[in-house]
Amino acid sequence: MTAQSTILYIEDNEYNRKIVRQLVTRTTYRLIEANDGESGVEIAQKELPSLILMDVQLPRMSGLDATRLLKSDPRTSAIPIIIITSFALSGDREKAAAAGADSYLAKPYSPRELLALVRQYLPEGAG
Amino acid sequence: MLSRSEDYTGSPVDAQERKSGTRNVASSLDNAQDLATPRARDHRLESLGDAVQRRTPLHRVVLAVAAVRASVHTKLLVAFLVVTFLFIGMALVSLQTIVTGARATRMLDEAHELVSLAQRGESSLARQMHYTDLALLSQDDASISRILRESNEFNDHIAKLESAGTSDPALMQQIRRLQDEAMGVVADIANAIRDGRLGASTGALLHRQEKLDADISARVGQLVEAQQDRMDRLRGSVAATNRRSLLLTSGFALVAVVFALLCGFVISWSFILPVREAQGFLDKVAAGNLGARIQVPNRDEFGVLADRMNHMSAELQRFDAEQRQAAAELGRLNQQLAQASKAKSEFLANMSHELRTPMNAILGFTEMLIDGLYGDLPEPLKEPLTDIQLNGRHLLRLINDVLDLSKIEAGRMQLALDDYSVREIVDVAHTSLRSLAAEKGLAFRTHVPDDLPVARGDSGRLTQCLINLAGNSIKFTREGGIEIGVERSGDDLHFRVADTGIGIPAGELENVFAEFRQVDNTVTREFGGTGLGLSITKRFVEMHGGRIWVESALGKGSTFHFTIPLRVGEAST
Repeated sequence: MTAQSTILYIEDNEYNRKIVRQLVTRTTYRLIEANDGESGVEIAQKELPSLILMDVQLPRMSGLDATRLLKSDPRTSAIPIIIITSFALSGDREKAAAAGADSYLAKPYSPRELLALVRQYLPEGAG
Repeated sequence: MLSRSEDYTGSPVDAQERKSGTRNVASSLDNAQDLATPRARDHRLESLGDAVQRRTPLHRVVLAVAAVRASVHTKLLVAFLVVTFLFIGMALVSLQTIVTGARATRMLDEAHELVSLAQRGESSLARQMHYTDLALLSQDDASISRILRESNEFNDHIAKLESAGTSDPALMQQIRRLQDEAMGVVADIANAIRDGRLGASTGALLHRQEKLDADISARVGQLVEAQQDRMDRLRGSVAATNRRSLLLTSGFALVAVVFALLCGFVISWSFILPVREAQGFLDKVAAGNLGARIQVPNRDEFGVLADRMNHMSAELQRFDAEQRQAAAELGRLNQQLAQASKAKSEFLANMSHELRTPMNAILGFTEMLIDGLYGDLPEPLKEPLTDIQLNGRHLLRLINDVLDLSKIEAGRMQLALDDYSVREIVDVAHTSLRSLAAEKGLAFRTHVPDDLPVARGDSGRLTQCLINLAGNSIKFTREGGIEIGVERSGDDLHFRVADTGIGIPAGELENVFAEFRQVDNTVTREFGGTGLGLSITKRFVEMHGGRIWVESALGKGSTFHFTIPLRVGEAST
């Protein structure tokens, strides 16, 4: 096992992916990316990352459905999933929790906060 | 939005009104029937008349009379005249009978008188003969004068009979001749007595006398009999005439009465029928059958009335149709409006959501630049980057508020009801704004009683309300302080956010909850804000079934109040 923890970021917007990509350059994390729900699930099942950042609005499969799928798969069910949503609807947090997500972050998020949340689940240098 | 469209269709209300309208009509009809009950006897008579006129040929007569092209006045006049003439005719017939009767009585009286005359003549004759016999026997002058007296009386009666002209003239002549002969005998007797030679001639005279007696008596007897026969005949004919008159009078009276009754019956039914039709017609119209038609055979005022009623009914139907069409049109338009409004709100909600994705990138990159993720930040770039971040955050707040508001309007905002602690939400609001108040040097206090029970509602939205109100207060207060207070009032919670700020002019108090409405634009420029916070707060309070209001004195400060049920969504006692 390598000392590097892998984070999978599933997000369809290139600029948002870029933010996280640049954010992790100063960390020890390894980032892999997917830009739709289906390929996200596929990559997660193949790569088995240490943490998944999941956008809600995704092409081909919604983030909530992808979360449900991954949480029902014994190989991936233990991977923490942080759902990132731009829906400010009340009940989004509940929906995320119902789908099996471990945490929830509303867009637009502060990169600082995102990094802090990631570090809660994935202390750097560990894993 | 949803509730507006439900309001709009308005059909429950309409239906209710229509129903109640019908009920009123029905009850008024009931009343009319109630009023009619005391006239039940009249009613029975009327239904009898109705049966008669419908089941007999009288019906055709009634219809024919109704169809006569004449005014009601003329018809009534003619009917009364007909009846009047019938009764005048009856009176004339009766009068005629009385006159005939009187004449017959008089004729009978006359005939009776003649019989009596004839009989008295007969008696005079008998006495004359008796005295003649006596004169012959007693040879007495006195008898002669008695004979002459009786003879005069007899002649008198005969003359009266003759002048009545009812006797056979030949018979009368014979009687006169025989009487003259009898008088000749009497003269002879008188001469013989005077001469004293009666004894010698008594036999001859007696013989002549007896022969004459028999002749004249027979003739006078005939006369009496003839007069009596005449009287009997007359009596018979009078009786017959009387019987005929009686029959004629009563027959005429019967016909007149029957005819008058028929006349009254027909004329009254020719008026009752259209009135009944009108009643039925009006009931139909009152029950909502607009456009109902009335048909009457009358060509009089009732006919004109029926035409007008039909016209009225047609007009009512036209108005009703127009109104219905207009209502339907309005309904359609309103529905379109509601749909358009909802579509607009959904568009706004979706757009706000789409706006947040690029906002995430803008704010994210800016923050990473400021945080030195791309290397140390050159000093001159610090201020513009901070300005970008501030304005970006303001834009985000605007987007968030618009999103909330449009979601509320689109009916897509639902409360997440759960138990919450009042103290906790007040503390959250206080914590989020504490530093902002401190920066402006304002006191910021909260007051929550210790004994408040666990409340139920959407704690997130309520916290947002408190943050909006208190944030607003901080914004508009230059010195003094802000206080958030809560107290229980029965089944309600009463929140209070008071400040010592600039206050709100009285004229603007009712506008403060409207969207994008601040006291004036300069205020907006000085104090910032989206202008949506109060509007959103009001919506959230109302979604909780509560009420929000503001009290303010210009220059002294404002106090915003809102009340919500302690346990939202649970039946209160």
